[in-house]
Amino acid sequence: MQSWRRKSLWLALSASWLLILLRVFPVLRLAEPARRQAGGPQGWPRWLDAELLQSFSQPGELLEYGPQPPQAPRGGSCYREACFDASRCRGGSLKVFVYSAVGPISETPRKVLTSIEGSRYHTASAAEACLLVLVLSPDTPAGECHPALPQWDGGKNHLVLSLHPTPCLRIFQLGQAMVAEASPTVDTFRPGFDVALPLLPEAHPLRGGALGQLQQHSPLPGVALIAVAEDRGGWRLAGTNFSACPWDGRCEQDHGPKQTHPQATLPNATFCLIPGRSPDALHFLQALQVLAALQEMPLTRVLALRQQAQFLWDAYFSSIEKVIHTTLEIIQDRISGASAHPSLLWNSPPGALLALSTFSTSPSDFPFYHLQQGSRPLGRFSALIWVGAPGQPPLKLIQAVAGAQHCAQILVLWSSKKPPPPRWPETAVPLTVLDGHRKRTKFCVMRECRGTTLLSQASDRFLPYSAIDTDAILSLDAHSSLSTSEVDFAFMVWQSFPERMVGFLTWSHFWDEAQGGWGYTGERANEFSMVLTSAAFYHRYYHTLFTHSLPKALRTLADESPPCVDVLMNFLVAAVTKLPPIKVPYGPWHQKARPPPLAPGGPRFRAEPQPASQDCLNQMAAGFGHMPLVSSRLRLDPVLFKDPVSVLRKKYRSLEKP
Amino acid sequence: MCASVKYSIRGPALIPRMKTKHRAYYITLFSIVLLGLIATGMFQFWPHSIESSGDWSVEKRSVRDVPVVRLPADSPVPERGDLSCRMHTCFDVYRCGFNPRNKIKVYIYPLKKYVGEAGVPVSSTISREYNELLTAISDSDYYTDDITRACLFVPSIDLLNQNSLRVRETAQALAQLSRWDRGTNHLLFNMLPGGPPDYNTALDVPRDRALLAGGGFSTWTYRQGYDVSIPVYSPLSAEVDLPEKGPGPRRYFLLSSQVALHPEYREDLAALQARHGEAVLVLDKCSNLSEGVPAARRRCHKQQAFDYPQVLQEATFCMVLRGARLGQAVLSDVLRAGCVPVIIADSYVLPFSEVLDWKRASVVVPEEKMLDVYSILQSIPWRQIEEMQRQARWFWEAYFQSIEAIALATLQIISDRVYPYAAISYEDWNDPPAVKWGSVSNPLFLPLIPPQSQGFTAIVLTYDRVESLFRVITEVSKVPSLSKLLVVWNNQNKNPPEDSLWPKIRVPLKVVRTAENKLSNRFFPYDEIETEAVLAIDDDIIMLTSDELQFGYEVWREFPDRLVGYPGRLHLWDHEMNKWKYESEWTNEVSMVLTGAAFYHKYFNYLYTYKMPGDIKNWVDAHMNCEDIAMNFLVANVTGKAVIKVTPRKKFKCPECTAIDGLSLDQTHMVERSECINKFASVFGTMPLKVVEHRADPVLYKDDFPEKLKSFPNIGSL
Repeated sequence: MQSWRRKSLWLALSASWLLILLRVFPVLRLAEPARRQAGGPQGWPRWLDAELLQSFSQPGELLEYGPQPPQAPRGGSCYREACFDASRCRGGSLKVFVYSAVGPISETPRKVLTSIEGSRYHTASAAEACLLVLVLSPDTPAGECHPALPQWDGGKNHLVLSLHPTPCLRIFQLGQAMVAEASPTVDTFRPGFDVALPLLPEAHPLRGGALGQLQQHSPLPGVALIAVAEDRGGWRLAGTNFSACPWDGRCEQDHGPKQTHPQATLPNATFCLIPGRSPDALHFLQALQVLAALQEMPLTRVLALRQQAQFLWDAYFSSIEKVIHTTLEIIQDRISGASAHPSLLWNSPPGALLALSTFSTSPSDFPFYHLQQGSRPLGRFSALIWVGAPGQPPLKLIQAVAGAQHCAQILVLWSSKKPPPPRWPETAVPLTVLDGHRKRTKFCVMRECRGTTLLSQASDRFLPYSAIDTDAILSLDAHSSLSTSEVDFAFMVWQSFPERMVGFLTWSHFWDEAQGGWGYTGERANEFSMVLTSAAFYHRYYHTLFTHSLPKALRTLADESPPCVDVLMNFLVAAVTKLPPIKVPYGPWHQKARPPPLAPGGPRFRAEPQPASQDCLNQMAAGFGHMPLVSSRLRLDPVLFKDPVSVLRKKYRSLEKP
Repeated sequence: MCASVKYSIRGPALIPRMKTKHRAYYITLFSIVLLGLIATGMFQFWPHSIESSGDWSVEKRSVRDVPVVRLPADSPVPERGDLSCRMHTCFDVYRCGFNPRNKIKVYIYPLKKYVGEAGVPVSSTISREYNELLTAISDSDYYTDDITRACLFVPSIDLLNQNSLRVRETAQALAQLSRWDRGTNHLLFNMLPGGPPDYNTALDVPRDRALLAGGGFSTWTYRQGYDVSIPVYSPLSAEVDLPEKGPGPRRYFLLSSQVALHPEYREDLAALQARHGEAVLVLDKCSNLSEGVPAARRRCHKQQAFDYPQVLQEATFCMVLRGARLGQAVLSDVLRAGCVPVIIADSYVLPFSEVLDWKRASVVVPEEKMLDVYSILQSIPWRQIEEMQRQARWFWEAYFQSIEAIALATLQIISDRVYPYAAISYEDWNDPPAVKWGSVSNPLFLPLIPPQSQGFTAIVLTYDRVESLFRVITEVSKVPSLSKLLVVWNNQNKNPPEDSLWPKIRVPLKVVRTAENKLSNRFFPYDEIETEAVLAIDDDIIMLTSDELQFGYEVWREFPDRLVGYPGRLHLWDHEMNKWKYESEWTNEVSMVLTGAAFYHKYFNYLYTYKMPGDIKNWVDAHMNCEDIAMNFLVANVTGKAVIKVTPRKKFKCPECTAIDGLSLDQTHMVERSECINKFASVFGTMPLKVVEHRADPVLYKDDFPEKLKSFPNIGSL
């Protein structure tokens, strides 16, 4: 009995304690079932009469009309339709006139002027122009900020441009003029009207510019996560395992970072942080745990950011010319409306300056975006055969090419003084003769027709003939020698690399120490960087780009010394793709059948005077601002090429023997 | 309880003297305690029904029963609104420091009914749409009920329609919110701003620093990067069922369906119709409306009546003209019909224009060019128009179709401003799902050729074939560009040979021991890999010459985003069996290279280890086979590119036999490899492998050229 009592007493005692504990400390609740929303937020109530609530608008209300236009601009605000008269740009194409400098001007504004004058939008006539550009110089004294401009008209259709901060921008009565300046403030910047420019160093190059320093896609192992810019101009590095170090400046003790020259430090950190002038900036970033976010950023995104930053630099920032042409392209896009560059063209290589919206606004028409679009180039090609001085119809070549599996048509570009023969052989595909002489006037470049001479120009072979309706062009000379099998295989390869040139014969360039310049050779070597356009596949877009984007000076140079045309085309494609061309096998028996080996100034134009052809390469390199050519050490052969296996198994067996 | 405590203190001394009446007392006490305990237990362990029924009674209140707040006539009115506000000047980002996962937290004030001094309500309490909007926020990840940890505050005062509220009193109601603080971090939603006669393009309610999500901003009133331009919700979105109609030319080229248009616009429209005839259809109100059809659902052209919004699906382009306000609900209807909106409303800030690329879904025409609109539209190629039609419908589905979609897009935009480094991308906002699926975004998209000086890291996977392994090491170490050699020792039962026994080579040699004998270990992103280029090589591949390996590395440099390997393989569609087949014969095509000897970018190790889709990785480890096929699938899928096979075919000593030691390349093996292809294709949901007919050889391979002058003379020798 006693034991029962004692037990019950203890039981009651412990039970009551348990009860007290559970009541007093709800925290100790054992199996807390998850309530609607963790932690038990009540949320917005479900009203009993939610179904009965009125709509925010009555049916008629959405249909009111008011006679007034939107409120009048405050403080002279401008937007595109109000302050820019696009109807002055006839045919929707931008024509830019630039006021020439008054008096001596410094280096940068002169480069800006040169860039505008070199643009394909430039016109020398102020009356014809629909955009008038005034370049402000940073050294203009504040008193001389008001040049007398006859066409000013309150700033309408004007662009006031300054690459560096200038007092004039604050003093000048801008009126309705657009402003393109570096680092504008949000208070004065009018989105969709003004243009924000990068703040560039004083010695920024006119064209070309230093290539991006990114040498590999992923960050080097063990590099600092972040480099923080310091007031004194140096950089402080912070490794991957740090806490608050960049914020309170204790990095020195933690990781012994080095004060180094920015150029040396920058590439060795994954991220660079420029905190801005506000003392709060660092605390601001700290509050948002930016560092933690950067540390946790997935590798895929880090790689994407690295590459994109580098692409933007190369495409739009690396030279003054690129910055200026980008500015004009932005304004042209605003005028174009629906035929402006789509976002993809601006934001993926090679960038909007090299993807002309006059060619197309559909990304899959270009050679560059098939992967992003999930598309493929058209599966056929047009053979474009240039017939020069001797005027012999290349009958054998036509038969070989017409027999190719994917040949859509043959275009003969007749540039000989002799008239073309009236009859051409029967071929499996349509054959059209284009008159290289008379057509020429039709294809004047940017409405500027060159001379009246009947002599055709070397660069005419790269005009964007409307008869070319396939993505791929097989460019040939009358004396080129190719077999059907070679054409078939080369076209298969081109379909895998539609942005590159795929050719049979190659040249390679080299730095000539003795001459202190670039040289090139047609001799066979272990590497190459150019393919001859006397037998090469490439995308038809390059005809448009060649004709409409190259500076006039370079095209003239090529016309004056014809072998330069090949060099120029290779320069252009290499500058766009940053990749070498592709070489495919070419039967040695062709070489025996043809005139002396291909060398610079090769057989095609033997009748022409021999130019100092090595000079061509150097002049081109100067024109581009850098040497774009890239060397390759490989050749793409058929999978079973010269393998010890029955020839019957091989698809391209005649590549090995004629 | 006190008693029990007392007794327990006195404890044993009392017990002997206990009497029967005490026992009853104890029993009663005990049962009370027990009952209490059971009740508590019920409450603790079975609370769901109790509490949710409690919730139910709390939540199911009527809107009419909310507390009433009387605003004194002299209560403060906020400043009108600061046009210079930007995120860095007017938004207090420090309040967002508590928010995890780079997402802002939003608090909603409880609903109250505000009345003026005379007892007249300042507005209708809440509209159906605003209730939906707050419900959507409350159900989302953004919501918090903890006012102290919130970064953004949403008043429950309904401002969607300015016409249904009293401006000054509403502003007073805002000003007395508990965390108002000049409107900092407060977000107001408004779709119909302004009122007659001048119709301001932004809400007239003074709001100081509050952010405004407004429908119908003009460039004058919109604070770029601070306000959010939102759509005007069309109630027809919920009322009418309008299935998607495919892109392509439609019966009318251009349609105007709005009824309340300014007479000047009517004149212009009439002129357009007169000039272009049948291609242009201009609709207006119906004069004699049949019974039972609401006016909003009917449009007429002369005597002909059309159903609205169905008629929008009959047109390729649909006009969206400025009415009293810039923001028009018709935009939503037009997008939904897959009709490309032609927006003629100068200075209108299009909805979500901060993130949406309207060039892809609409045509904006200046008002002064209205008469030229037909020729402007005619100049757009059809391919682009179809793209726009698809894009228009996608915009509606993603951002216009419900109040919830509008609310969440608005919060996402603000959240992305606060955490720009975690913001979702242009593609995420703008690409329709079909594009996201069909396209490839190569993770190594920048064309660059890595410097030769960096070299490559060779990774040899081995189990216990030490002799063969040492020969491979010796051979590979002769390759000039080798910078490090990593041996992955996959045998847990045996220690690797002592240091002194390993071949002496000129580059660092590291041995990594694995925890389990898995094939995936070969593709682990080891910290020891310092170069971008990796050469995966089996411990029995001794037949590759130094020239061949060096050349392979050179080829990889030109194609750093591809698998560059030696033995090539092909997948084929077996028409009899209706499935994929693995092929290792001498073929003219390749679609895979074996990773028994292949160069690739080390990033693919990261992808293989952490991002391999489905259960492929486990499947490979369980079957001890096909890790190479899995790698080929992975790289082809992510880059959209084919492999590069280098150098002529050699007789490899059964490079595929590592997993089935001793067995020759027999039928079982081929069947198993075919199974892998079929399995992986089903996991990837597609066949990513690309077939090509080329391989890479040195420029002068087999050319009639002095061997000693060739860079890579020793290629293809057996």
